[in-house]
Amino acid sequence: MSRPGFVLSVDERTPPLLVHQGEGFRLERLPLGTNVIYPPDSLPGIRNLDAEIARAIHNPIGIEPLPELLKPGMRLTVVFDDLSLPLPPMQTPDVRQRVVEQVLELAARAGVDDVELIAANSLHRRMTPAELKRVVGERVFRSFFPDHLGNHDAEDRDNLVEIGKTEHGEVVELNRRAMESDLVVYVNITLTAMSGGPKSLSVGLASYRSLRHHHNVHTLRHSRSFNDPPNSAMHHSYERMKDLIGEHVKVFQIETTVNNDTFPSSMGFLNKREWEWNLADQAAYVAVKRGNELLPARARRKIWQSTLAPYGVTGVNAGVPSQVHPITLANVHRQQLTEVDGQADVAIFGLPYICPYNVNSIMNPILVMSLGLGYFFNLYKNKPIVRQGGTAIFYHPVPHEFHPVHHPSYIDFFDEILTESTDPVVLETKYEEQFATDPWYVQLYRKSYAYHGVHPFYMWYWGAHALEHLGEVIFVGGNRKTTARMGFKAASTLADALEIASHTVGRSPTITYQHTPPLVMADVR
Amino acid sequence: MGIRDEIQLLRHGRDWRGRSTVPRSADPYVLDDGEREFPTDWARTRPGRVARSVLQRGLLKPVTWSQTRPVVEGVEYLENLRGPVVFVANHSSHLDAPLIVGSVPRRFADKLAVGAAADYFFDARWRAVASALFFNTFPVERHGQRRLRSLAVELLDEGWSLLLFPEGTRSEDGWMSAFKSGTAQLCVSRGVPVVPIAIRGAYAAMPRGRNWPVPGRPRIAVRYGRPLIPVEGEGFRELRERMMRAVARLNSEEDLGWYGALRADADDTLPLPTRRQTAGSQAVPPPGWRRIWESTRPLEDRRRRRVWTW
Repeated sequence: MSRPGFVLSVDERTPPLLVHQGEGFRLERLPLGTNVIYPPDSLPGIRNLDAEIARAIHNPIGIEPLPELLKPGMRLTVVFDDLSLPLPPMQTPDVRQRVVEQVLELAARAGVDDVELIAANSLHRRMTPAELKRVVGERVFRSFFPDHLGNHDAEDRDNLVEIGKTEHGEVVELNRRAMESDLVVYVNITLTAMSGGPKSLSVGLASYRSLRHHHNVHTLRHSRSFNDPPNSAMHHSYERMKDLIGEHVKVFQIETTVNNDTFPSSMGFLNKREWEWNLADQAAYVAVKRGNELLPARARRKIWQSTLAPYGVTGVNAGVPSQVHPITLANVHRQQLTEVDGQADVAIFGLPYICPYNVNSIMNPILVMSLGLGYFFNLYKNKPIVRQGGTAIFYHPVPHEFHPVHHPSYIDFFDEILTESTDPVVLETKYEEQFATDPWYVQLYRKSYAYHGVHPFYMWYWGAHALEHLGEVIFVGGNRKTTARMGFKAASTLADALEIASHTVGRSPTITYQHTPPLVMADVR
Repeated sequence: MGIRDEIQLLRHGRDWRGRSTVPRSADPYVLDDGEREFPTDWARTRPGRVARSVLQRGLLKPVTWSQTRPVVEGVEYLENLRGPVVFVANHSSHLDAPLIVGSVPRRFADKLAVGAAADYFFDARWRAVASALFFNTFPVERHGQRRLRSLAVELLDEGWSLLLFPEGTRSEDGWMSAFKSGTAQLCVSRGVPVVPIAIRGAYAAMPRGRNWPVPGRPRIAVRYGRPLIPVEGEGFRELRERMMRAVARLNSEEDLGWYGALRADADDTLPLPTRRQTAGSQAVPPPGWRRIWESTRPLEDRRRRRVWTW
């Protein structure tokens, strides 16, 4: 049995602990008494995954088995999570490929001809053919690309349909092909408690008109946290939309969860607790760290971006979204949840090289903000790990780098909008509409590989709750210019960061370090 | 950061094998399954006995006798004794067992098993193997939180003599403490004779915390007393009292002489350890540092003085 997560209290017997810092990592001697949240050990993966997928498909929850739903002449749409999941990308074969192949085999046997496969990329950039092939596999790709395998296009007016409004007046506008199908099969990977369930369709196949109802400052400030669906206003909105979708189309959702084997064996030490490192792990640490530092920036990024996680799959469940998702969430919690006693004055996070929006790309300052203040800060249940008015210390170099193809609107957002204000409400009311409807951004989103014009705003909103909650945000090793532009502070060392923080939290603050990745979600009591 | 600093940081708090100390809060809670009984039967097989005999006579006794100067008295009391007996001794040093094993008559030494604390001698495999090989130890539960099947009864029935230290642990200050009841219960129930042994000077020679005797071959007195045979109808408490008195008397022979110790016993002025120190009891041992002071006093050298020195 794998060990549960726990909170380490740093004492004089504690070796220096690993902290991720962008495309690199370091060892840090944390102050005595610092609490360190460790995730549960990686759970064992399912041995016979194909058999487990077959079991799930043939024994779904709240719906007939898939073979009974497949009829000749029907319109079948298979929707799957895009490349923002999982992180880092999974070693092939991707679990989505395994599931999709089994679904298509059943469809072929049932004589279904009209099959369409759509990546639920929402306002994310389109996936390249190579990326699509990686996810669905060679056979599926050859059989369906390019006519019947592609990305969702949230700006293709002809292929969007408004299916109605929720009782809160939220417009639900989704992909027409999916909504007019006889059956939608959704294949997802639930990496964090945020994704999956009602979010899959209502976000993945939505348009800006629909997304603005939950991707806004008000909702995100009331999502505490957005990784805890019952307490997340954003998820309440998804739920309402999901009910409407459920009335409109039959959805057969197949949800999968992965374990915490985040790094390949060559970097196995990143998956282990530091005092359990053997000589080989220590040698690997020195070799990888030195090699990483000596590499030119481009080569370093290429190597990090080609890192593939040897994830094991911890659960495959199928059925209607509302009934499958609780099981999926339980699986996620089993792998990630660690109980923490009380909030701290200072929270420390080591930000890694990857977030959902820079796969095969560059992590720009906005994405760093969204990863730190959005994703990592919100990896909690009940209460944030840091108290109201406390300080968050992030480790990241925050370089002033943007991917011109993938993130064009980010560049303008950073250079023109953030210089005006960093207040999410101001940004939302004054500038969002303009970016969302800019025809050039729309063009780049549809025809190039750019994130939608409004996406940087969403990234900023992602951190809205943290911005409101925190008294101070400090980046250790951060670029002074970029951090200052975003309204944060930069420090060269942890000691300096704590010195800066002493103005808000005093000289002897309580400190909690969230030791992630591998992902850990704090259940703060 | 240079590679040297990097490695220095990485090596911080790790030993040469790269193993780190485990933070206290990360120390795993180990459930005591009670099944961790270390097998010692092999030490009582014929090859085990031969090996032990060679090690005891060829290594243990020569080393002990070369590092200390034991004076053994009272072995003649064992002459007419047959069959399994239980040796009981005060315990103040790791030297106690080698001294007794090296001084008992050979017919007993060849069939002697030593009771050793399960939580100390049997918690690490190497220590368990070494002590079973050299002393034919068997695990004894001192605290009774785990009910380990006791081997003592079985061994007595098989004809093995036992060496037990009824105090249950080595003395902190060299003074004898009260005996636990287990040994007395065993002897009463099986009707086996008890041979009291007192060891003086072992604490001074090698107290707790030392793993080699102090230099200068200190004198150690090993005194055997007359066997105590449980009489009909005697309870274990009475026997325990007799054992304790006998060992205390042998112990004070060093200071009072044989007859003086007998008189002190008769007059009830022997310094007897009790579980509760009552205010009125006589010969209360001195408190605190004076106990250690007394027990580390070198024994008087009773060798004949040389008449001529030059």
